[in-house]
Parts: sequence; C-alpha cells; structure tokens
Amino acid sequence: MPLAGSLDIRALLDDAPLVVLEDRELRVDDVDILQVLYEVRVADREALVPPALNPTIPPVVSFLVYRAKESAFGPFALAQVRLTARAGVRPRAFLVSARCDNPALAEVLAGSWGYRIAPAQISLRRFHDRVDCLVADGGQTLLQLSLVDPVPVTGHDVQYPPGMHLARVEQDGITKPRLVQVDTEYEFRRADRGRPELSHFEPALWGDERLVPDEPVSASFSACDVTITNIRYVCNPDIPASEGTQKVSER
Amino acid sequence: MEFGIFMELSVPRPWTADSERQVYENALEQVRLADELGFDYVWAVEHHFLEEYSHCSGPDLFLSACAMQTSRIRVGHGVIACVPQYQSPIRVAERAAVLDILSGGRLELGTGRSATWTELGGFHADPDATKKTWDEFVRVIPKMWMQERFAWQGRMFSMPERAILPKPIQKPHPPMWVAVTSPGTEIDAADRGLGCLGLAPGGFADSEKKVKSYRRRIEQCEPVGAFVNNKVHTVNFLSCAEDGDLARRSGLRVASIFSYMASQLLSAKEVLPTHSYPSEGLLPALRRESGSPGDAAKSFRGVTMGTPDDVADAIRQWEAVGYDGINFIAQFMEVLPQQYVLDSMRLFAQEVMPQFKQGAPRSVPAGVA
Repeated sequence: MPLAGSLDIRALLDDAPLVVLEDRELRVDDVDILQVLYEVRVADREALVPPALNPTIPPVVSFLVYRAKESAFGPFALAQVRLTARAGVRPRAFLVSARCDNPALAEVLAGSWGYRIAPAQISLRRFHDRVDCLVADGGQTLLQLSLVDPVPVTGHDVQYPPGMHLARVEQDGITKPRLVQVDTEYEFRRADRGRPELSHFEPALWGDERLVPDEPVSASFSACDVTITNIRYVCNPDIPASEGTQKVSER
Repeated sequence: MEFGIFMELSVPRPWTADSERQVYENALEQVRLADELGFDYVWAVEHHFLEEYSHCSGPDLFLSACAMQTSRIRVGHGVIACVPQYQSPIRVAERAAVLDILSGGRLELGTGRSATWTELGGFHADPDATKKTWDEFVRVIPKMWMQERFAWQGRMFSMPERAILPKPIQKPHPPMWVAVTSPGTEIDAADRGLGCLGLAPGGFADSEKKVKSYRRRIEQCEPVGAFVNNKVHTVNFLSCAEDGDLARRSGLRVASIFSYMASQLLSAKEVLPTHSYPSEGLLPALRRESGSPGDAAKSFRGVTMGTPDDVADAIRQWEAVGYDGINFIAQFMEVLPQQYVLDSMRLFAQEVMPQFKQGAPRSVPAGVA
C-alpha cells in the first residue's frame, strides 16, 4: 500500500503559526525565484511528512528562494525548505520552515498562509554564469547554494507544487491543527536551468536535522509575477488528505 | 481485435521472504490461463526501484518463463528501456533474440525510455538524452538482428564489427513497438513504422485524433526495420463478472490503487525542467483521471469493467476509435483474490472475446507461417 507519512506533529504545533482564514491574496510582480532540488537520504522517510501526506519515492528537498525588489510590503527575500510529497495523488510540497528578511511581510505570510517563518539575511544574486544564494542569521550561515551554468528553458518546464503548511487554524471559534494548502500562481517572464550546487545547509536550524541532502537533482531560476491565492483547502494532518481535506473557499 | 494481459508484477507491503515469489507465481498462472483461453499477448514492463508498484526489473527472464509454460500466446516487452545506462542495445538485441528462440518465434519488442526520476536518477541517466538514445536503439536493433556482422558509429553508442548472436527465429525480425504516453510519441511511432503501444488512459476524442494521425503518417513512413508494424493498442483494466456491481467494485479497486501507487513516484518532468519530457506522461494522465483514492476510474469512460455485455460495449467503443487491440491490467498490488482474476479472464474469454474474434485471422508472426 502507499507509503503514508508518520511525522509526529505535536512537537511542531506549539510554535506553529496561527492562521485566521480570510479572503486574501498577495500579488508580487517580477519575482526572481531560485529552486534547487536534492534527494534526501533518510532511514525513515515516512517520518518526514505528516500522516495526511504521502512521501515520494525518493524524498526530495526543495530549496525555494524568492527575491522581489518591490511589493506592497517593500523589497523582500524569502527562503523556503520544502519536501516533495503527495496529498492523495496530487503533487504537494510540505513546508519544513522559511526565512524572510522583511518582518512585515513575514507576519502576513505566517498569519494568512501558515508560513513557519523566522528572520534571516538573504542574498540572491544572478550572474550570467551562475546564481548564488546565501541565507544567514546573526553571522551564521544557514544555507548556501547556487545554480551553475544557466541555460534558457520555458516557464512551462518549471514546476513549483502547492505548499502544505502546518498551522493552527481558527475555524468557527475553535483552533485546530491543520495543513493549509497554499496555492501560488506563477506567470513566467523567463526561466533558466542549470547544475545545482549546495555548499552549506544546517538542517537542524531549519527544523529537521534528518534532512541530509544526498544526490543533486536540478536547479532552476525564473522571473515570475507571483500571486499567492486565498486559501481554498485545509486538511486534517492526522488522517489521509483524501479523507481529511476540507474546502474553505472558492478561488 | 487483439487482446493481451499486462504484467506490472507489483508487490504490496508488508514484504515477506515469499512475497515476490508468490506474485510471480500468480502472474505465471494468469499467463498459462491466458494462453489456454486465446489471449494474444502477455506484456511485461521493465521497471527499476519502483517499490511495490513494479518489481519487474528482469522482464526477459519473466517472459522466458512465460514462453516455456505456454504454447501460443505471444510474449512482449511492454516495454524495454532504451536507456544506455540501463543496458546496451547489444544486450537488448541478444537477449531478445534468445527469448524469440525459446518462445518459438513469439517475441514482440516494445521499446521506451522511462519517465520517472526514480528510475532515471537511480541510474544517473540523463533525462534530456532519453529520446535521442531511444531513437538510436530502435534504429540499430533490427540491423543487429538482420546483419550477419554489425558495426556502428553513433552518437550514444558505437561498436566495431562483430557478429551479434543469436539471431531471432522470426524473419526478418520480431515486430517492434513503442510505448505511447507523452503526446506526440504516436507520431514518432508512425514515422519509424513502429506499433503504437498505448500505456495511458484517455478519452475517446483525444484517442481517436491520435489514432487517425498515426494511421495517416504511417502510410508514408520509412521503417527502422524491415517491415511496418501498424498496430495500435491501448491499455485498460479488466474486471468481468456476471454480477456487474461486483465487477465494477473490484475493477475500481485495481484502478484506484494503480493511480495511487503511480502517483508516489517522481516523474522526470516534475523535478527537472526539461524539453525531453514535454508534459504529461502516465502519471499526470492518471491524476487527471482520478480525484482521490476510491474514485480512480469514475471519469474514465470506456473502462472494461462490469458484466460481459458492459465489457463488450466498452471494447466496441475503443474499436470504433480505431484501436486494433487492448491490453488488460487484471490485477495490481494483489488487491483481488487470484481466483477472481482467473474467473474474470475466463468469463471474458467465453462471453466477450468471441464477439471480436469471429472470422478474424489469428495474429501471425512475421516470417513464421
């Protein structure tokens, strides 16, 4: 039978963001996006994702970094560590944690979309021969990665699956643990791909020390207009998504 | 219409020391029965590392066992991976020829290139190159079979002159096919004179368009081999019982778990931005057809599940679309009792198959009269 997640979410709930469901979307134009994927070697891959989700074979960690020069909250950079997963048969990415250099935006991302988020300094620099990203906090490097030798591809070739964010969700006056499905629309202006290079990663500081990247998979860099849409689905993290998913709004 | 059975050899957890042997034994029993009942083909996949979904990494060995336990059913690779990191085309030609000899000239060679990162990444194969390597494989393999000695200077593969042995029994060579999951591969099949082995479910309108396009183009093809194989097959789930509700319930269990298991694999397209896998493939096609576990085939019109009349009606629809054959998945992950699978095949052969076989000539292997 399909592998099912077995991550114990209780320990994560204490500091999980509190989400109030509301009709809200966030559009940001001309966002640079670096995505680097690595296979993860782990003894117990089921324990990486909650019971609502299914791990993929093999599990893959996605480092997804946005940088925007303008937004309603000012310039920002956002770095996410996500794990490939499935909700039933649908491709999803379970958010392990995120870092953001814009406190006002971070607060909104946490409260409206359940981003488990902490501050950091984030640099994302594009050159013609490579794209470099550095995430640091208080002088400590949390993540350093690159895309090397970019070549153009079409936006159609690049995929960013919807995120599944563990949060405490207020519904009908009650706070419940839920996976919030974060759907993001991407309008591509250009896209490149290249060779992934991971120079440094501190998995414990991102929330899961078991995430040891092993095999490089791919790297892409794109420029997109991004819209994080209002939340349409939430999901009970303790039971399969096919049984525990609830529609909370229309698009 | 021709009919076949499709073997994934899926092995559900929990695995015991006996699990895989039991799955193989059950499959061989189904193949022996299919041979007795008049099914035309048994096809075996080639997959690697696909836990539970398919433990069929040595399909030529499995098909050899099938050949030795049967007398008339044709044994087909459905399909062999034409990826050099998996195997050299020399080894494909050699081993396929052995299978053709052991089966008395009953080999069908389906070709493909893998679509999952799970497999390609496991071999450190380059997904960008698989279309090109497949193309070179299908051009050289028939030459290896037909020429006494063979030499090649290619892009992916080169060799000095050698005799590639043994040679297949079927002359000029066994029929060749290509797996069609990605849009456009039916055109590749037609242009090379290869049979079209459909592996993804789809709607009638889209299928009819593909079949028409294939038929039109293959009339002007330059075949990679010595002859054109212009057959078009599709794949379907088989569950046939006098109790239609039972048949549909049982068939849906197979279809549902098939989609669910397939979805856990990583498609190459999902993790690597590449033109080589332009879109779709089997996994997204299955996702489109299934909402969630339990309703995998609800929207899949034309499923061959139900009473013999239901199944015959569905086959007529596919026949009208232009298909020459349907290959059935009758079991997956052992979710159905073996006896149910065997009874379903028997009822199909007794009640349904004759409606499509009367007056139809038997499939005659090329060169074996």
